[in-house]
Amino acid sequence: MKFIKKTDIFIILIVIIISFVGFFIFKIILSNKPAKAEIYYKSELVMVVDLTETREKTFSIPQNNNVVFHVFTDGSICFSESDCPDKICIRTGKLNTIGESAACLPNEIILKIVPYDKENKNDIDLIAS
Amino acid sequence: MLSFFFEVRCLSKRIVSIFIIIIINCNLIACDANKKQRHEIEFFMLFDTVTQVVAYTETKEEFDNLSSIIYNSLKEYHELFDIYNNYENLNNLKTINDNAGIAAVKVNREIIDLLNFAKQEYENSDGLCNIALGSVLRIWHEYREYGIEFPESSSLPTMEELKFAAQHTDINNIIIDEKSSTVYLADAQMSLDVGAIAKGFATERVCQLAIKKGVTSALVSVGGNVRAIGSKYRNGEPWNVGIQNPNKEHSKKIIYTTLLDNKSLVTSGDYQRYYIVDGKRYGHVIDPKTLMPAENFKSVTIICEDSAKADSLSTIVYNMPFEEGFRYINDIPDTEAIWVLQDDTIKCSDNFEDYIMK
Repeated sequence: MKFIKKTDIFIILIVIIISFVGFFIFKIILSNKPAKAEIYYKSELVMVVDLTETREKTFSIPQNNNVVFHVFTDGSICFSESDCPDKICIRTGKLNTIGESAACLPNEIILKIVPYDKENKNDIDLIAS
Repeated sequence: MLSFFFEVRCLSKRIVSIFIIIIINCNLIACDANKKQRHEIEFFMLFDTVTQVVAYTETKEEFDNLSSIIYNSLKEYHELFDIYNNYENLNNLKTINDNAGIAAVKVNREIIDLLNFAKQEYENSDGLCNIALGSVLRIWHEYREYGIEFPESSSLPTMEELKFAAQHTDINNIIIDEKSSTVYLADAQMSLDVGAIAKGFATERVCQLAIKKGVTSALVSVGGNVRAIGSKYRNGEPWNVGIQNPNKEHSKKIIYTTLLDNKSLVTSGDYQRYYIVDGKRYGHVIDPKTLMPAENFKSVTIICEDSAKADSLSTIVYNMPFEEGFRYINDIPDTEAIWVLQDDTIKCSDNFEDYIMK
């Protein structure tokens, strides 16, 4: 009796194919997965906002009630109100792309869009503006 | 006995199969993972903008060490090139401005280097990049700040006051004495404003210091003055840097993603710092020839190795009509530009395509 039969090789091949297919499906799902937003106050991460929920909402961070954020149903987020003089944070507009960020300098708040899970080498590292 | 042997064999087969699945999956996941982790930090207090540092390092300590080299060095340049604040025991650009028409000020080598670079860029650009334009820029700055705070009553400066201020913008009145390391402004009413070049100049110097201290890979952005040190990974994978679409409401947020390996990228545009008078937008880049905001383009982006050069070129080319800027850039080796015209047409210099992620 041979140790490896034809059917064994067949099973092994199937297993390999299934794991490859599974891996690529996993990768595609991962790369299509929308981003999340991180809000930093004085360089500390104070809030993470899931941008996959398709629910509109308006909120502030506990550290500063004068700065208001808004999440839209299309998964984008922006600074909607701020008491700073230059309003550059509001003018930056809606963010939804990995690598984008908006900052309110006088209030020391930064809003960043980051990958939902692990980074991909083709993700944008930074957006120059 | 035979059936027992058969069952054991079946079982062992299953176990082997399961092991194969696990091992293959582990291998595939391991292939994708890089041992180095992405780290990122932002600083707020420097050059009136946000500084971002990104690097892939094996440990957090390695990243902290790298980012503190950059922070500490950048802070020194921030204080030296500050035109708004005084610092104890430090002569900076504000000290020079305060002593205009009064006295020569002894300053650090870094300031002399910056001013020499600025004078050279002035020559190269036929006056389109002028750090002696402070008196004119201050007027626009005041009108802009007021216009942003009170949009209903925003207005433009009159040509008379701009022209009056422009009488005090001669760059030759910056008297540099290399030997005694002093700077003197020969016109009491003139003032330096290095907004168009200081960030890029400082970014380049800071990154050169980091390289000297052994940093081989990092991405530094000082308010959009992006400098890529080396590549992202050891295998030469470049940094991916997006160029912002100046149309903020457009669904496409990025006009191109560029691939940078030891290169700088700087954008000048009118889409962030501006104010509105009677429905018309007035940007913050002032054309020294007309004394009015330059309005040829929505944005201009420069790619070249030296961040100081990229910064000054972005202002110079922003102030030039397209054809002139196109020729100007194509004459400079290893330097590329991309223009977004007011009608959203995108134009690229001859070899810009080499940097675009396909």
